[in-house]
Parts: sequence; C-alpha cells; structure tokens
Amino acid sequence: MRMNRRGFLRQTGAVAAAGVLPVSMVRLAFGQEGQDFTFAYISDSHIQHIRGNEFVRNWDQGLKRAVAEALLEPKPDFVVFGGDLAQLGTKAELDHGAEMLSALRYPLYAVMGEHDYYLDLGEYWSELFGDHYYSFDHKGVHFVVLNSVLTYDEWTYHRWETPERRMLEMAGLDNPNGSPFMVGERQREWLRRDLARIPRTTPIVVLSHSPLQKIYKGWNFWTEDAEEVQAILAPFEKVTVLYGHVHQIQYNQIGSISFHSVMATAWPWPYPETYAHSGAYVPVMTVPMNRADPFNERDATGWQFIDVHTGRVAAHYTLYDNKNRTVAYNAATGRPEDTEYQNPARRIPPQAHY
Amino acid sequence: MRLALLLLSLGAALRVAAQPLGLPPVPIPEDNPQTPEKIALGERLFNDVRFSSNGQVACANCHSPSSVFTDSPLKVSVGVDGLTGTRNAPTVVNAAYNLTQFWDGRSPTLEDQALHPFVNPVEMALPSHDPILEVIRADRDYVRDFRRVFGVRAEDIRIEHVTQAIAAFERTLIAGDSPFDRWYFGGDENAISEAAKRGFEVFLTDGRCVSCHTIEHDHALFTDHRFHNIGVGVNAMQDRIEELAKAFLVAKQRGVDVDVAVLSDADTSHLGRFAVTGDLSEIGAFKTPTLRNIAVTAPYMHDGSIATLREVVEHYNNGGVLPAGAPVNPFLSGGIRPLNLTEQQIDDLVAFMESLTSPEFQQLAQPERVSALGAGR
Amino acid sequence: MRKFLIAALTALAGSTALADEFTEADLERWAAQFESVAQEGRNLWTSPELGTNGVACAQCHPNAANTHPETYPKFQKQLGRVAQMWEMINWCIRNPLEGEDLAPGDPRMTALLAYIAKERRGVPLEPGKH
Repeated sequence: MRMNRRGFLRQTGAVAAAGVLPVSMVRLAFGQEGQDFTFAYISDSHIQHIRGNEFVRNWDQGLKRAVAEALLEPKPDFVVFGGDLAQLGTKAELDHGAEMLSALRYPLYAVMGEHDYYLDLGEYWSELFGDHYYSFDHKGVHFVVLNSVLTYDEWTYHRWETPERRMLEMAGLDNPNGSPFMVGERQREWLRRDLARIPRTTPIVVLSHSPLQKIYKGWNFWTEDAEEVQAILAPFEKVTVLYGHVHQIQYNQIGSISFHSVMATAWPWPYPETYAHSGAYVPVMTVPMNRADPFNERDATGWQFIDVHTGRVAAHYTLYDNKNRTVAYNAATGRPEDTEYQNPARRIPPQAHY
Repeated sequence: MRLALLLLSLGAALRVAAQPLGLPPVPIPEDNPQTPEKIALGERLFNDVRFSSNGQVACANCHSPSSVFTDSPLKVSVGVDGLTGTRNAPTVVNAAYNLTQFWDGRSPTLEDQALHPFVNPVEMALPSHDPILEVIRADRDYVRDFRRVFGVRAEDIRIEHVTQAIAAFERTLIAGDSPFDRWYFGGDENAISEAAKRGFEVFLTDGRCVSCHTIEHDHALFTDHRFHNIGVGVNAMQDRIEELAKAFLVAKQRGVDVDVAVLSDADTSHLGRFAVTGDLSEIGAFKTPTLRNIAVTAPYMHDGSIATLREVVEHYNNGGVLPAGAPVNPFLSGGIRPLNLTEQQIDDLVAFMESLTSPEFQQLAQPERVSALGAGR
Repeated sequence: MRKFLIAALTALAGSTALADEFTEADLERWAAQFESVAQEGRNLWTSPELGTNGVACAQCHPNAANTHPETYPKFQKQLGRVAQMWEMINWCIRNPLEGEDLAPGDPRMTALLAYIAKERRGVPLEPGKH
C-alpha cells in the first residue's frame, strides 16, 4: 500500500468537518484564546511482523486501541506519531502500522524512531510520512520535529555487512554493540537557522524520539549531543521537549526546557534503576508510572493527549486498565509535576514498589 | 410446601456456615455490624413486594432464593408491569466480597446498591424512597423491629436503615465448600472428576482464565474486582461507539442518571464502566463476576446473551467474540486473545466450572451435554 | 604385605587431591562453565527461539531488568499461588511469547536462570516480596 505523504495526509486530514460532535470535555482556556489547543500523541507501536500476514497480536492491539480511543476524544488539532512505528523497519510493518494510523481523521506529524530508520535509513518512511526533520507553526507555537536517533557514521555506514544486520543490532535495547543516539551537526545547524527567525517569547515544542538528555547510555535513553541541542534551545523562554523511546513516564526540567516522555502503545520498559548494574536513575522529580502487571497486556502502555496553554504543556496519559495520570507544568515551581502524586506522601504502592 | 421447606433449609444452611472452605472472612463495615435481629429484618425487607409501584416486585423477584438469588433462566430482569431492563441479575451469593456492586461497579457498597432498584423505572419504579418508609411506618411489626435494631422511632426511620438491614442480610449469603474447594484447599483427591482437574489446569494455563478470575493460596473469590472489555455486547455496536460515547458524555454533563440510562437502552448498557467513569479506556468494560455457582446461574454475561458455559468458553476461545471470525472491537481488554483450545480442553474447562457449585445449590445443577469427544470421564 | 599396602596408599595420597579439596584450576574451570551457560542464557534471552511469534524476553526485560529473581519463591498472581521463578519464566514463554513450557531441568531453563541471576548479582535476597 504505497502512499506518498500528500496522499497519506489527504486520507487522514479528510472530511473531519462532517459529524463533528460537541466537545464535552471542555478544556479550561487559560490566557490567550489563540494559544490553547490539544493534540494527540501516539508512540512506539513496534508493529512486529511474524510471517505472511501475521503480526504480533499484542502490539497490533495496542495501536488499534490507542487509535480507537483517540478518535473519541474531543477533536484534537492534530496527531503526532512519536516514532518506532515498526519493530524492524520493514515495509510490511510500516504499511501495517500506517494503515492503522490512517483511521485518525486528523493531520498527522510523524517522528522518526530507530526501529523505523536503521533498515533503509528512512527511505520508505519518507514515502509514507515525508521529511525526517522539519518545523511547523500552530496557533502561535513553533513546533520542531527532529530525527534524533542518528548515530556515528562509522556505525551507520561501515560497521555492518547488511542493512538487516544493522537493524537487528540497533533493535536490541541493551545490545552492547549498539551506538548512542544523536541529533548530529547537520540538524543542529538547521535547528539554529530555523530558530534564528523566531522571537524569544514564542513557545517552542520539540518532538523527538530520543530524550535530548543523558539518562542511561546502556539502554540508549540518551542523546549524545544533548548539551549542544539544549544550548540551542536555551535562549527561548518556554521550551518543551516531548520524546518517546523510553516506554515509561519520565519528566524533567533543565533551565527553561521542560521534558516529557510519552508512553508506548506496545509494551512498557522498566526504569533504569531496576537494573542493578546500571547505576542510572531517571530525573528525581519523576513520579514513576505504576509497576506493570504482566498479566494485563495493556498495563503500563497507553497514549496521551497534550494540552498547550500559555505555551506550556500538560501531558495527559491515558493508561489502560489503570488510573490516568497528568503531568503538567507548574508555574509556581517552574517545572512539570504530576498533578496527583508529586507529593511523596500521596504515592501508592505500585509507584513505589519496584 | 416443599418449596417453603426448601427455602427455609437453604436459608438455614446459608446462615449456619461460619466460614465455608475456600472463602476468606466476610468484610463487615464498622458502621453496620451484624446482629441476628438486623439480619432477620433485612431478610423480610428483601422479600417485601410492597416496595414497588404495583405492589408486586421485591428484591427477591430478581434475586430469588430458589434460583441462587438470581432470576435464572431470564436473560435480563423483569420489573413492574413486565418492563424489562438491559442487564442480567447478578447473584447476591458472595456479593459481600465484591469491592463494587452492579455490573459496572457504580455502587461502592451493598448498602448503596439497595437504594437504586427501588427508584428505577424498569425495576420497582417508585417515585422516591418515601413510599417505602410510609409502608414501614404503617406496619407494626416493622416499627417494632426497627426500634429494636436501630433504636429509632417510626418517624425517624430513614431509607439508610432499610438498606443497612438488607445489606446485613446479604452478608450472610455466602457459599463456598464446593467440590473444587474440597479438592484444592481440602486435599480430597476424590472430590472432583479427572475432567475437572484437567479443566483447572487449562484454567491456569492455556485458558488464561486465572488472569481475571483470580485465586489465592488459601481461598478463591474468582474475581479480580476489575473491569474488562471482553467483547460482549460492544462488538455488535462497534460502528456506533464513537457517536454513542460522545452523546452519553454530553447527556451525563447535563445530569442524566446513569442508573436509569444504562437500564433503559441496550446500547447504552453495553458502554459498561465508561458510563460510570467517563474514562474512554473503559468502553465496554464490565466487572469480573465470581465463578462460584456459575453452573446454576445461567445465562451469562451482563446482558445474559450467552446461554451455556460451553458457549462462554467458545467466546473466549475465539478471542472475545461469537461466532468465530466476527470482528472484535478495538477496546478489548489486554489479555483477551484467541486461545486455540482443543475440544477436550473446552469440555474439561466446563467440567471444572461445574465443580464450583456449593452443596446448598447442588440440586439445581444439570451437567451440560458435553461434546461427542468428551463422553467418558 | 602390610608395608606394601601402606606404601601404595601413601603413593596414592600424594598423587590426587583429597575428597574435601578443590584446586584453583577447578574453581576457574567451573566458573567458566557457569559463564558459558549464562552466555547461552543471554543468547536465548535475545532470540526469538523460545516462542512462536518472534518476541524475545529482552524486548520487555533489557538486561533481565524487572525479573526480580531475589524475590522468589513468592505469591505469583498469574499462577494463583506461591511459586518459583522457573514457573514464572514458563508463564512468560507461554503468554507473551506464545511458546511451550520448558521442563524445569531443561538446559535452556538452567541457562535462562543463570543469565537472570548473573545480571542481578549482588542484590540481597527478599523472598516473598511482591
């Protein structure tokens, strides 16, 4: 099912006007009317091909469910797909995933993940979704989409005999043969030029797959040039980075930059500190997601809708078979906070008992 | 006469069992302790048909002592004037262990649950709880009993007293000590058939049933108290989910009563837990019921749509749908998937479920006809 | 005859280790054997061979994280009773990996357990912890 980007967008952004139903969950509008909006964020579906027409049912189900629920929300302005649509970057997987995403009747912006990239270096991805990095403006907010899963040229172009081998090596999260993610100099240059024309007061939202921070190198919860990228973003007053890849709730504040991770629809990952020999911790302010119950395939997976008001982000995590969570920017403390559990005294056993 | 004796002996048997094998202690709330007088009062209220608009419907109509406190074989219950609802009456037996009441958990306690059917238009259809209090205050025996139990005068009797008494009675309706309990917890190797033992193995492994119908080391409630979309009801209205869900949220914001809404329209009923919480991830989700006495409380599911245990297993075996191959709704709970069970495994699972009937209800049990394959045990 | 016997026994004693002794070489060899079994466990951990749908343990458990071997035996909800680690491994093989149980004595099960334990070395025992 070949589709070019325009064709794909045509299919998704189509006749949404017909049958628009009343917005029942009205989001309180803070500040200027023009700057309040909501978009949906679905990420890390890892569609995995078994053979023939068979795909791993569990991951298919996760994406289907996210799409079905996102259709029910008050109409989001657009949808972001956060990367890792496929597991091994094959055409079959990308097509199967794109087909499930196409049920969303809203404009779609896609972010590259390493599982999408390392088989053909994003060639088929471009046919489906367009550019690997780009920017766009929406209601006074400047959005930047980065391909933040690049790595050293030697590893990408010279280390492995075949593209399939390269993809397999990058596919293992804990693979010692892997290579750290980066944005790279070319994109950093592009980012500098792209942001040069933007006023310092314009809110910036960066959509990335890798965290643009250095959290745990062993599992590539890592961006090698995080400091350089952060330095380019630092002059702006309100910056939010939304990233996938980690399959868990994380959030952080570094200077003027808020960081929020998004959930995977496929499966959850344990926190780095649960690996006894990692020596790594997520940012202290992060209240962990509930410990996953392997009984329940969808537990600790989910999708999110992102509210933007006055240029700040509130991430609402829709968690299946679980209580939803919201991590929102707190103007009083100047950082993102869990609206219910930030106070350690309010935490429940599944958040503390890992 | 025989029926009356049967009921009396059932009641006696249920009350005598202090803690049946396989069950944990019954949780009793601090503000509603058990006393024999309160229990007797509650039983009387439970059976009183005057608390309805036509004077013919009591709790016991849909939760009949002679049918394991359900109205089996009805699919959905019938209230005043032959009006039908949308949901199958759950058994009151062992309901005391539930963390929430009703198929969608919209009631947090037994006491609260009892408030609702009185005023639901398709159940007892009273305009409010006042007619109940009027009947009670005009009844000398009730006045005497309420004073003895709650220390209140006639004019001070409130509906809360009524529901507390009913709840106290319901907390005596516990039943364990099934053949399964005697085998698994009691160590009696001959308590159940070989087929049932094999079926229990399927229950724990290929059937994946224990995921939601949980058991513990020394007791088994067979429910995780959670809400799951297993594809019943909601599969048939997949195309309408989006429209209905949004319309329902709007209606709820405008103040519609969930209790009335879900019993008045089948499709609304199929929205399940979502109607209570408004949480999109709970579309079509219903509470895991206990499996105790399941063989004698047919038909099955929140809408009574599945007639036999074998078909229930087939529904799960197909990945949450009947017939096999029909499209499954995307809100399916994690863990529902095609099981690829053999015919033998399905028969054995049914045999296992039949072993969960407590002795008090054994005489109601009729083993389902097994497939040609499973004739021998 | 007696002298001969004593001499023979003394000779024997000098040429082999006694029953309660093991040498450095033994320790190294046995450690290496463990390492190779643990490595086999790591190979299984990352391979699609244990199941039928291509999913590998490592996908959800990188570096065997979140397996908590130090807490077994413990009440395992998925099995409804207090259980041992190998039973939970089989649950995972059967369910997310859609494969077949391994016998507890199967060399592959031993390899998996060795790998998991190795990644978790140094963590104190806490049997029964959920």
